[in-house]
Amino acid sequence: MLIKIKDIEFASPLLTASGTYGYGHEVQDLANINEWGGIITKSVTLNPREGNPPPRIAETPSGMLNSIGLANLGVEEYCREIVPFLNKLDTKVIINIAGSTIEDYLETLGILESANGNHVGYEINISCPNVKEGGIEFGVSCGLTETLTSEIRNLTDKLLIMKLSPNVTRIEDIAKASENGGADAVSAINTVIGMSIDIKSRRPKLHTKFGGLSGPAIKPIAIANIHKVYKAVAIPVIGIGGVSNVDDVIEFLLAGASMVQIGTMNYQDPNLGIDIKKKLLQYINDNNIDDIDQLIGKVDVHCS
Amino acid sequence: MIFKETSSVVSNNKIAKGIYQTILYAPDISAYSHPGQFVNILPSYNWKNVMRRPMSIASQGNDEISIIYKPIGEGTRIMTNWKEGSQVDLIGPLGNYWSNYDSGYPILIGGGVGIAPILNLHTQLGKKHIQHILIMGAKNAQEHFLQHDPINHTYISTDDGSVGINGNVVDALKVIFPDGDYPANGKIFSCGPPMMMESVRKFALEHNLCCNLALETIMACGIGICQGCAVERKIDNIADYSYRTHYALACIDGPIFTAEEIVSCL
Repeated sequence: MLIKIKDIEFASPLLTASGTYGYGHEVQDLANINEWGGIITKSVTLNPREGNPPPRIAETPSGMLNSIGLANLGVEEYCREIVPFLNKLDTKVIINIAGSTIEDYLETLGILESANGNHVGYEINISCPNVKEGGIEFGVSCGLTETLTSEIRNLTDKLLIMKLSPNVTRIEDIAKASENGGADAVSAINTVIGMSIDIKSRRPKLHTKFGGLSGPAIKPIAIANIHKVYKAVAIPVIGIGGVSNVDDVIEFLLAGASMVQIGTMNYQDPNLGIDIKKKLLQYINDNNIDDIDQLIGKVDVHCS
Repeated sequence: MIFKETSSVVSNNKIAKGIYQTILYAPDISAYSHPGQFVNILPSYNWKNVMRRPMSIASQGNDEISIIYKPIGEGTRIMTNWKEGSQVDLIGPLGNYWSNYDSGYPILIGGGVGIAPILNLHTQLGKKHIQHILIMGAKNAQEHFLQHDPINHTYISTDDGSVGINGNVVDALKVIFPDGDYPANGKIFSCGPPMMMESVRKFALEHNLCCNLALETIMACGIGICQGCAVERKIDNIADYSYRTHYALACIDGPIFTAEEIVSCL
């Protein structure tokens, strides 16, 4: 079940979505991390961040809202504490980076490039809905997305993935801007802006009022966006949004995803991507599919 | 060591009005857990919600653990229907645990859904023959499953005065130690509803009593990944850039914090 993006071969099409598997070491007692196609680590920023005040999460029907505010230890500590652990893994590591200015992103990337990490690439978060400086101003602008992508492209030959927001009018335009800037792939979707209110206290359930909705609740939104992006660009699309079983993965592939990230459901079961991998192999064998490529984008649309 | 363990229900009983106790066969978690730690529970295998339910461990030993809970939400209502032999997916043991209880004179204060980790510590201190006081608060007699037994230093309080000391757990402290005569080396260990714990926290600070509080927050992963269970620490000079200094995580930095350390239990 080898999947190739750029020149990188992944042993499984399943990746952990950023922010849902930490830096990998948190789950090492519970799961064989190396069974994943790859892990995408939680967003790292140039400086450490405390994140937003609580409450930061709320449960919603088939999903959850979060507004963590990119809490993380900062790139220098990341290089000291996390990179040596990641270097021991056999799975592919992709580092997610967030920033508020082009300089932030470039400086963070520069530090990571010289960190002697074995990571194969970067996913660039231009779509965090929960902090003003979380890159979303890039993620809603074609011009800024293209500029940021090409500036990063100039600094690295590693796999470069731009992570897209669904909270835009036309996601396919942002995807094209990423492609024009030199991205190797795009990932879609980040969380969908949502809000929830406690009717007793009349307070929003999140301190920041709005947050990002994730989980099975957003799966159809993800599939629509994956398909739109797949139709708009030639680079691979990595699908994310509410995957909880093997059927969802196949649905994402049919919509146009080349690889699939598993996010919120990792909180329930850190082995989910490993179990789904086995079931996907079974599906492929049972249906005499030679190559996973035979599924990608193969949704059989109704005749007009 | 953290385990993802498929446990099986040994027994599941109502022990007081609206309060259930479940004993689960879970050898790994039982062997590795300490009083104060918790497990993150999947209420059922077709659980449609995305979050597990964190529950304090009320006892461990003999390959078993127990939990005590009130059915208030969908998850806990499913739990009341667990049958003997039902399989339950657990992740644990999680979080920090009660410590430094062998120096000083422990005053254990529990209430409502927070009785589990307090009972667990009570048992631990009993085994180690450490003399201590146990105070359990509830609304009324029906919610209690312990006896008011002052001779053996076990006190229960009720808001309606139907049994034990009339009033809340802070009122109980004032009755047990009249005229502010608190033991100089008294050390409070408390868990309960947020309002109760905040009263205990303020009381401890006013009376210079060392105080450890096991907080309950909303939580998803339980292992430091989602960063959802933030607890605000009291910091005089917040640095421009820091991580987990101002906002700790209840799942890995807690759930136990000291009274001075945090801004509030609410």
